Amino acid sequence: MKNGNDTTTGKDYWRSLEEYAQTPEFAAAVKREFPNATPDMVSENSRRDFLKVMGASLAFAGITGCKPAEGWPRWPEEKILPFTNRPEGRMPGNPVYYATAMELAGVGRGLLVKSFDGRPVKVEGNPLHPESQGTSDVLSQASILEMYDPDRMQTLKEAQGSSGEYARSWSEFSVAMEGRMARHRGSRGKGLAVLSEASSSPTLRRLRSQLQSELPESAWFEWEPITRDNERAGSRAAFGRPLRPHYRFDRAQVIASFDEDFLVSHPASVQYAFDFVEGRRMAPAGGGHGEHGGHGNGDARFNRLYAVEASLSPTGGMADHRLPVAPSEVESVLGELAAELFAAPGIDASAIDSVRSRVAAFRQGNKHQAFVKQLAQDLLAHRGASLVVVGARQTAAAHALAHAINSALGNVGHTVTFTEDPAGNDAPHAVQIRELVDRMKAGRVETLVILGGNPAFDAPADLDFAAALGQVDTSVHLTMYANETTAAARWRLPRTHYLESWGDTRAWDGTVSVVQPLIRPLFDGRTPVEVVACLLQGGLPKGYDLVRETYQTAFGGPSGESFEATWKKALHDGIVSNSALVSVNTGIDGASLAAALGSFTPHESRAGAGEIEVVLAQDACVFDGRFANNGWLQELPNTFTKLTWDNALLVGPRMAQEMGLADGDMVRLEAQGRSVEVPIWTTPGQAAKSGTLHLGYGRRVSGKVGTGVGFDAYPLRGSENLHLAVAKISKTGGNYPFSATQDHFAIDEAGFKATQARLSSLIQEATVDEYMHGGHAEHGHHPPALPLWDPHEYNGHKWGLSVDLNACTGCNACVIACQSENNIPVVGKTEVSHGREMHWIRIDRYFRGDPDDPQVALQPVACQHCENAPCEQVCPVAATLHSHEGLNDMVYNRCIGTRYCANNCPYKVRRFNFFNFNGGMSDLEKMRPNPDVTMRARGVMEKCSFCIQRIQQVKIVAKNEKRPIADGEIRTACQQACPTQAIVFGDLNDPKSEVRKLEESDRTYALLDPELHTKPRLKYMKRLRNPAAGLSATHEGHGAAGDDAHHG
Amino acid sequence: MSENRDVQLELGRTPLVIGGRDFHAVTEMVSSVVERRKWPIGWYIAFTISAGGLGLLGAMIGWLFYKGVGVWGVNNPVGWGYAIINFVFWVGIGHAGTLISAILYLFRQRWRTSINRFAEAMTIFAVICALVFPGIHVGRPWLAWWLFPLPYPQNMWPNFRSPLLWDVFAVGTYFTVSLLFWYVGLIPDIATIRDRATTKIRRVLYGFFALGWRGSHRHWHRYEVAYMILAALATPLVLSVHSVVSFDFATSQLPGWHTTIFPPYFVAGAIFSGFAMVLTLMIPCRTIFGMQDLVTMRHLENMCRILLATGMMVGYAYSIEFFIAWYGGNPYERFAFINRAFGPYAWGYWTMVSCNVLSPQIFWFRWARRNIGVMFVISIFVNIGMWFERFVIVVSSLSRDFLPAAWAYYRPTWVDIATFVGSFGLFMTLFLLFIRFLPMMAMAEIKGVMPEAHPHHGPDPAERRGTDLGGPTLQPAGALGRGREQ
Repeated sequence: MKNGNDTTTGKDYWRSLEEYAQTPEFAAAVKREFPNATPDMVSENSRRDFLKVMGASLAFAGITGCKPAEGWPRWPEEKILPFTNRPEGRMPGNPVYYATAMELAGVGRGLLVKSFDGRPVKVEGNPLHPESQGTSDVLSQASILEMYDPDRMQTLKEAQGSSGEYARSWSEFSVAMEGRMARHRGSRGKGLAVLSEASSSPTLRRLRSQLQSELPESAWFEWEPITRDNERAGSRAAFGRPLRPHYRFDRAQVIASFDEDFLVSHPASVQYAFDFVEGRRMAPAGGGHGEHGGHGNGDARFNRLYAVEASLSPTGGMADHRLPVAPSEVESVLGELAAELFAAPGIDASAIDSVRSRVAAFRQGNKHQAFVKQLAQDLLAHRGASLVVVGARQTAAAHALAHAINSALGNVGHTVTFTEDPAGNDAPHAVQIRELVDRMKAGRVETLVILGGNPAFDAPADLDFAAALGQVDTSVHLTMYANETTAAARWRLPRTHYLESWGDTRAWDGTVSVVQPLIRPLFDGRTPVEVVACLLQGGLPKGYDLVRETYQTAFGGPSGESFEATWKKALHDGIVSNSALVSVNTGIDGASLAAALGSFTPHESRAGAGEIEVVLAQDACVFDGRFANNGWLQELPNTFTKLTWDNALLVGPRMAQEMGLADGDMVRLEAQGRSVEVPIWTTPGQAAKSGTLHLGYGRRVSGKVGTGVGFDAYPLRGSENLHLAVAKISKTGGNYPFSATQDHFAIDEAGFKATQARLSSLIQEATVDEYMHGGHAEHGHHPPALPLWDPHEYNGHKWGLSVDLNACTGCNACVIACQSENNIPVVGKTEVSHGREMHWIRIDRYFRGDPDDPQVALQPVACQHCENAPCEQVCPVAATLHSHEGLNDMVYNRCIGTRYCANNCPYKVRRFNFFNFNGGMSDLEKMRPNPDVTMRARGVMEKCSFCIQRIQQVKIVAKNEKRPIADGEIRTACQQACPTQAIVFGDLNDPKSEVRKLEESDRTYALLDPELHTKPRLKYMKRLRNPAAGLSATHEGHGAAGDDAHHG
Repeated sequence: MSENRDVQLELGRTPLVIGGRDFHAVTEMVSSVVERRKWPIGWYIAFTISAGGLGLLGAMIGWLFYKGVGVWGVNNPVGWGYAIINFVFWVGIGHAGTLISAILYLFRQRWRTSINRFAEAMTIFAVICALVFPGIHVGRPWLAWWLFPLPYPQNMWPNFRSPLLWDVFAVGTYFTVSLLFWYVGLIPDIATIRDRATTKIRRVLYGFFALGWRGSHRHWHRYEVAYMILAALATPLVLSVHSVVSFDFATSQLPGWHTTIFPPYFVAGAIFSGFAMVLTLMIPCRTIFGMQDLVTMRHLENMCRILLATGMMVGYAYSIEFFIAWYGGNPYERFAFINRAFGPYAWGYWTMVSCNVLSPQIFWFRWARRNIGVMFVISIFVNIGMWFERFVIVVSSLSRDFLPAAWAYYRPTWVDIATFVGSFGLFMTLFLLFIRFLPMMAMAEIKGVMPEAHPHHGPDPAERRGTDLGGPTLQPAGALGRGREQ
């Protein structure tokens, strides 16, 4: 953007005489009109560099002409920059990828974002990022929807008492802050407090320490509702200093997880899930797996996972043995394990001597003897190749004890390493926010700057943050969405989305990523870094400069050639090389450990009569509530409950039965004088006398999507325990309607029996032993099926997809990736309740065995692209056809919508546009969809296309380059997102292709093919379970053929 | 005085026209209905209600077109709901007419003459109701014409492998032939009305549709030949149309649909429902318009017998489906039927069985077959049961097929129900217009089965074969008619 200041270069068009005259009045007017655009984005030199990196596009140039405050879009009227000469390397309509990163709860996720003509359209994992390795998770995939959300806070506002809020400009804010800061500087910062979200941004850290050194009396607090403080406290207890554990699941043969959902909920889950599955790949002979390599020799190495948890998590679902116990009892089981282990001969004694007698107490009344004994035996047999992990919700003592166990087993340095924790000795978040609230209540905070977050909603309920906030004279809230906190703050600042921001962040392993924008801010937003710098320096410093400044020293001197080169490389790669945390050698600090375990005694559930323990859990969709306005996430079915648009108190079937509760029945939970009323949902596998309630729902102030969805669990959450509430439960009467995408557990007898009887053929499983000894092969007898028509011939490509059920954790990344790639609409809760959700890939979930301790089976189901497709025969207008490459193509504009194809599809993967689901998009939202994929109209059938647009793109490139398509070059959206690489796409006619090798594996089967002879192109690979020989039948895997009669 | 009694004794069964009516009386009875100056207020009330129903149908279709198929209860596994159920229901009802006209005609079942006009009209109207649904049930109704093999710039033919396309042809052909058959049968009677017309408009209109009928022997000859040919054409269609409709289900691979029994089962069900609907309409009309002498208890009793027979046929089909599901050893099919009887839609299944199989059993008793009230109630039951049969087939199979994860429950919306009610509005509107403006009985044919049609009083060979020693009859007529009059 050119302004009437002296940085103007290039063609000298002028807009008015004032501009021509370059009068100060004009400069002031420009500043008023375009406050966030003056001075220019970056200095002249770096701006060019910036453009070089970013690749200025037509749309980008267009966007600069918009004045954000007055509705979108406002295309430039005066100035258009047509590409009379197309910049080198830029092809209109060809996507460009940029590396960036998204920070969530203080941990960065490395991303690669696809941009079409200046519009980011799809988030993918950054292949160069050590944690992502090209894959990603649900939240980062879905984050792009928020950028184009018209409900975002668009302009800066100031509330004045009860008289409402008034639009202000950033310069007005800056001026107001300058006045206040001058006063605070006079008192060395007294009365100034900053409340930040957890952040690992080096730039923010730099500014924070600058603020604290300039204004030593000022206070900086951090609050993050989903926190891993206990883990940090646990390592401090075990080692005497705060360390961060890093697990190497790929190296572990035996893994015991105590309430740790490392497969999905951990900040490093994307990597952990991959590593874990890497440790149990049963690769076909002669085949590696994906770009990540793998075991090329039919390696039989197969880890075994034990899980002890109260709420059924994806990790528990993957476990070979799962022990459901009350949440507070998890650590007792850990104690029992420690007692068992520490009594074993030959254990490394030095580390644990100090606590030996204490844990011995757990040997008495060993309730879970069979499980614990087997686990201990397994761990002892795999010293140095085993791993005990404890979840963030568990106490510091449990973490400390786990470290001691790992240390005693010789795992430290092998399967678990430690680095310094970037948070260091910071007080736990609950302590920090309590301290802040105390100060606010005492009137010691005059100016409170809240950077992101939503403490008025998610701060511990006993603190009553919102009331305290009312006592602050000047409160400032920087936020992407107006939320409960914004409503109580005076200054309401719009925050940029990370795709519009300059910033930086660190991944779980410490790797620094520079966050670079793909688009100029759609609204008048700024980043936390910019706001802090505004306080510090006055004016409106630019994020780009601030971030660059952070790396000036790190990258070797200001403005030096080497800096630019390193900087560009960091931007290009999305990571700053060698920035990962360095592992430290450490040993158990016996005294500290003993102190930590001082009050660690065996106990059962803490719930008394009429009470249950309620796990207050991070939600896989809305996280802590921040994604409440994200329709994709709200509509994403929970892995196990299959609920959309809601949370519920998840209780076990037995408890529901005992209490006479049916799904949707309302109950009141009362703890510490605070209560919530929530509906229940029976979930097999939930431990007795406990329930799970996900946080982040029941938002009172959110956008159109998120307001009033679900039930707020935060009132149960006190600062004394952020993870668990012991609550009195009582039935209140009334029933709440849920929208679930799958028939849930409580189904009629006939349906339940049929489901159980089908399971063994639908989701084929075997134990590792059976598989190794070939005892897994046959699944019933079927009469030979003959084709009705001549079979198709495939002379060119023959596309196929393989889904390894052994690797599917149910994390849903594929579902959201597909939604984003293929422009799948959100239909809303009512339509989901009518069974009209549109996801092209769904994850079928089945339970089997004891309802209170079930086995879980998951199966992603998308269009199977049958060679003998039932849908193709019945379409009267030939709108769904077989391609020469074996794809079942859907011709949208030929479809008249008889829905016969969907009826005849045995997999029920076809989705119908019952309404004009894509209608009513604002101009802003219209920028989001992937331009390579048609938006479907009302009345049209749609379904998975194997990402045909991606196939075509690669085919075109390969054809232009006159070369064959390389295996793995085409990656479907689901495949690309899948953290465990369970999905492999390729050409079945290529004998060397990965998918062909997988198809030829003896683990591969086709769903319903023996019965219907559909000849699907999507093939599944049997799931393998690795049960320990010594455990009782209730915990035993039973995937063998014909063994299908287990049901409760 | 004793002629009719003689005839009756000779025949050994009740004559087809009683009450001593002669030809003229028949003409008077039937034509006067059409020629009434003042229609009873009841007709206007009925017509207002029916037209209201038709308006409701129009409004519902308008709403549907405006919003999309989502206004109905259809969902992801259950892609077809009320629309297809109603379609099959109405097509089924549309079976009785042609069956009575064509097949009974070819089999020389002369008792059909009193009810065939009525039944054929009902057929036409029912098929019109049925045809509404496939057109509106598609997602993009403005493109429904793509179902026809038309040459147009897209240069696309429909997919001839699709049973839906066969449907288009089968129902289309059936409708066309039924309409022709009905119209050809109407020509002599329209000519009668024309001849009796007192106003110019009536003369012109009826004259136009009478196609210049003068009743010459040549006309009668041509007429009989044409009627015979159309009957021969229509006969296979009676069987084919519902067979093809059943292919929509039978050729799919959905458990519960994919069964070879469907074509005969559907045809039997269609005849069953068609006769039930004829009874439902005939019983009140007969009383209101005083046609008891033309539509005698014997006619009604015969229809009850057919209901009993076809009811047992569908009952047999229901049971054989279960047997095959068990005997075939396909676990998916077995479950589909267990699910029908004991799953979430068990209420629908047992409604169907009670109405279709159990309720007609009462017709084993002669008193029930001769009791107007009983047969009316049973005919309503059968209508309900046959609608539920289609509901059970369409919905219960779709809602739970192969992958349990995809199962879902189907609930109709108010739009579904209102559209269904509206289709009755369409049906009744057409029907009320029919009885208002066209002779509801085939006068010419009725006369053909009266004793006076046989100058030698020789009994009709077909009638003579009867063994039914019918009950006492009313007084025979005193005077001879005028022979066939026009």
